Amino acid sequence: MSTLIVIDQPPYGAWAGREALDMAFSLAAFDQPVALLFTGAGVNWLRKSQETMGIEQKSVERNLSAAPVFGVEAIYADATACALYGLVPDSMVAGVAIAESSAEVIRQHSHTAFAG
Amino acid sequence: MTATTVQNYTLVITGAPYSSQAPQTALLFAKAAVAAGHTVDRVFLYGDGVHLASSLSSPPSDESHWADQWGNFLSDNDIPGVACIASALRRGLIDESEQKRYELPASNLREPFIIAGLGEWVEGTMASSRVLYFHAGD
Repeated sequence: MSTLIVIDQPPYGAWAGREALDMAFSLAAFDQPVALLFTGAGVNWLRKSQETMGIEQKSVERNLSAAPVFGVEAIYADATACALYGLVPDSMVAGVAIAESSAEVIRQHSHTAFAG
Repeated sequence: MTATTVQNYTLVITGAPYSSQAPQTALLFAKAAVAAGHTVDRVFLYGDGVHLASSLSSPPSDESHWADQWGNFLSDNDIPGVACIASALRRGLIDESEQKRYELPASNLREPFIIAGLGEWVEGTMASSRVLYFHAGD
């Protein structure tokens, strides 16, 4: 059984993405296979060099950087959403696989979950 | 799979009562599932869903009281109801032990709900044949 946690909300202005990341880390902590898919406004999580001092929030970039340490198997970004938000590999954090078809990524997992 | 296969469900509620229909939809589903011979392994409240476990919710008397209805359903059917501790503490859903730990002036967790970690959700995904999510839908 493998679970795909989908984050489709922006990193700031919404809290569900952070709770989705906690779900992924929790599965990984219990040795359950898990991957992340960022789509829609959620791809903005993957922007490099986020500076959040001005909004008094923790940077999601730092939280997300723990994913490989926890054992999250893969981080996918929906190609269409990346194009929509002007994200190219150079402007993204390392270790992200661009998925031309999110449907295919979802098909590869037995469970899919959102945090809200 | 046939229509008569008995399922064991974990239900995850992330939408709050009175700002979303998630708790109501989940309750109607749970009642229908149990009535049809299926079982509910546990109910996990996550994110804004933890507000369902407040003992202080006081809707007008001519409106449905979702915390009471859910609490009664869980007790009657001996189903564990778990509120995620991280979600709950952030939103002011507190049981007596967290009240003591953080030296807070009150606690407000409605019985039979308990507060526990995301591990309860992970266990649900492993123990159940189906996991259903009830979101706010916004």
